[in-house]
Amino acid sequence: MSKINVLSRSRLRARAISGFLRHFIGHGGAQLGLVCLGFFLAVAAMPDTLVGPLETAITATGDFLAPPSRLHYLGTDEVGRDVLNLVVHGARISLTIALLATVISLVVGTTVGITAGYFGGLADVCLMRVTDFFFVVPSFVLALVITPVALEAMGAGGEILGFRPSLFVIIVVIGLTSWAFVARVIRSQTLSLKERTFIDRARVAGSSNTSIMLRHILPNLVPQVAANGALVVANAIYIETSLSFLGLGDPLQPSWGTLLSLAQRSGAASVGAWWYLGAPGVCVLTVSLAFVLIGNALDDTFNPRRRVIP
Amino acid sequence: MSRRIGGILIRAVMTLLMVATLNFVLFRVIPGDPASLLLGGARISVTAEQIEAQRQTWGLDKPLFPDQVIDYLSATLRGDFGFSFKFRGKHVADLILERLPATIALVGLAQVIAVLCGVMLGVYAGWRRGGAVDHVTTGISLALYSTPSFWLGMLLVVVFSTALRWLPGYGASSPGVIVGSFAWLLDYLWHLALPVLAVALGLIGQYVVVARAAMSDVVTEDYMVTARAKGLTNRQMLMGHAFRNAMLPIVTLVSLNLGYVVAGAITVEAVFAWPGIGGLTVEALNARDYPLLQGIFLLLGVSIVIANLMADLIYGVLDPRVKQ
Repeated sequence: MSKINVLSRSRLRARAISGFLRHFIGHGGAQLGLVCLGFFLAVAAMPDTLVGPLETAITATGDFLAPPSRLHYLGTDEVGRDVLNLVVHGARISLTIALLATVISLVVGTTVGITAGYFGGLADVCLMRVTDFFFVVPSFVLALVITPVALEAMGAGGEILGFRPSLFVIIVVIGLTSWAFVARVIRSQTLSLKERTFIDRARVAGSSNTSIMLRHILPNLVPQVAANGALVVANAIYIETSLSFLGLGDPLQPSWGTLLSLAQRSGAASVGAWWYLGAPGVCVLTVSLAFVLIGNALDDTFNPRRRVIP
Repeated sequence: MSRRIGGILIRAVMTLLMVATLNFVLFRVIPGDPASLLLGGARISVTAEQIEAQRQTWGLDKPLFPDQVIDYLSATLRGDFGFSFKFRGKHVADLILERLPATIALVGLAQVIAVLCGVMLGVYAGWRRGGAVDHVTTGISLALYSTPSFWLGMLLVVVFSTALRWLPGYGASSPGVIVGSFAWLLDYLWHLALPVLAVALGLIGQYVVVARAAMSDVVTEDYMVTARAKGLTNRQMLMGHAFRNAMLPIVTLVSLNLGYVVAGAITVEAVFAWPGIGGLTVEALNARDYPLLQGIFLLLGVSIVIANLMADLIYGVLDPRVKQ
């Protein structure tokens, strides 16, 4: 009896997942987003095989600010480095920062949201006051003042987990300042979930609070986490680019934002070196648009009422 | 109603308090003596008496909590944020006030343009959903919304300043123009054109997306069917029923943005070397000028809190349901 039950349940789940995937893949925006994202992930996974090691001022091969040619498809920068080489290596840095920051922000946001929603009372009030603060004050503004202080306190030498300290600081700061939106969404969803019968049943069966939150509520939050996660990534890319553009990035591990900052400092715009500032910008735009499209598509698929609005 | 306003005010004060606390904590995490930091960092020579005077003013000999916190908060309330590192001997508050008008001109003009164009386009796109205008507008807006505005600014410089030579891409005035004259005003607006366009385009993208979504929500409501059944014209339905109800989220977003746009314009100002708060922020970051950076942070916090306060209050006025 129970075996049949398990079998049919897993079959049900498989059918639900395949139905979801069919719907999701059938979404025009999702297709475009996934293709763009796949392309950039592939590029970020193997920059060395595609364009060789990151060029430096010493190993630079081209003229200064040379326009695109057969030798340098995207031209060169102000010290003669190949822009294609820089952009491909930048993909790795930018995407890693954005994805890791998103993981931190999703973990913090989900934890705060579930805890506040599930326990309610004083815990809810306290956690939500803190969330309100991070919700009202944008991550970019907080990061703007925290990042330089954190950098000064840590020092600029060495590497942490393969990252230069400044990039590590940016990851942590973005992650710890951009979770408020996730926490709010998760909390409201938890509030409605915890009133359902299956939670009561789990409690009667003797499950602890932690086990109810992890095994019964969390799996039901996956749609919200996924749809918002995609938007959090887009936001993280935006913040990282802006911070790096203002000079908080690391020139030794340049992200797209750092490249834009270098382009600005070398006066690329005023000498008309469109390739130098165009390439990283197009990458930022494409990737964040891809995540927005994927996020919207996930939202549409999970939430049929919104399907009217593309 | 008054309870609601009270709650809103308490929350605003709490947020400001947390901004100030963050400033307080950050300033004491930085390695080095806070007293010499306040006097312009260890980079310039200061006498022992000056340091002692700073210790007295800020109560740095007293315990961290509650004495130092209280001293810090009362100094902040008086508008005393210490001295800048980079601009020696200048008060942070003076520096910020000096630069504020340029930023207000930039974001104010951009806001007005963005509200006019963005809301109009978005409302039209939402009204005529699925039409050609809708598809084009929505696509472009989504792209504008996802583009960092400072990068738009760089592109504008390449096109309109470097290639076409129509508009200046740098600074706020031409050399030799007498400040205060009519020619100066024209020159100022001339320099303002590209930065305003860069900020406005990003905002337009956002307003179109939100206005369109708000309209789409409204036009599927039952009262629209009723209005049609009553025999109202399209124009009456649009202005009297759809637009009025769609205004709510739009007005809220616009008033919230009054606070956020100052921070958003920082990078754009950096592109155009615009002499506002953004330019000041870049200089503060490059020189690691912490007192200045914290003053700017407080300013951004205050503007965001005020904008939130406004949005909350306007919402209460516009939506009669909130009053109950």
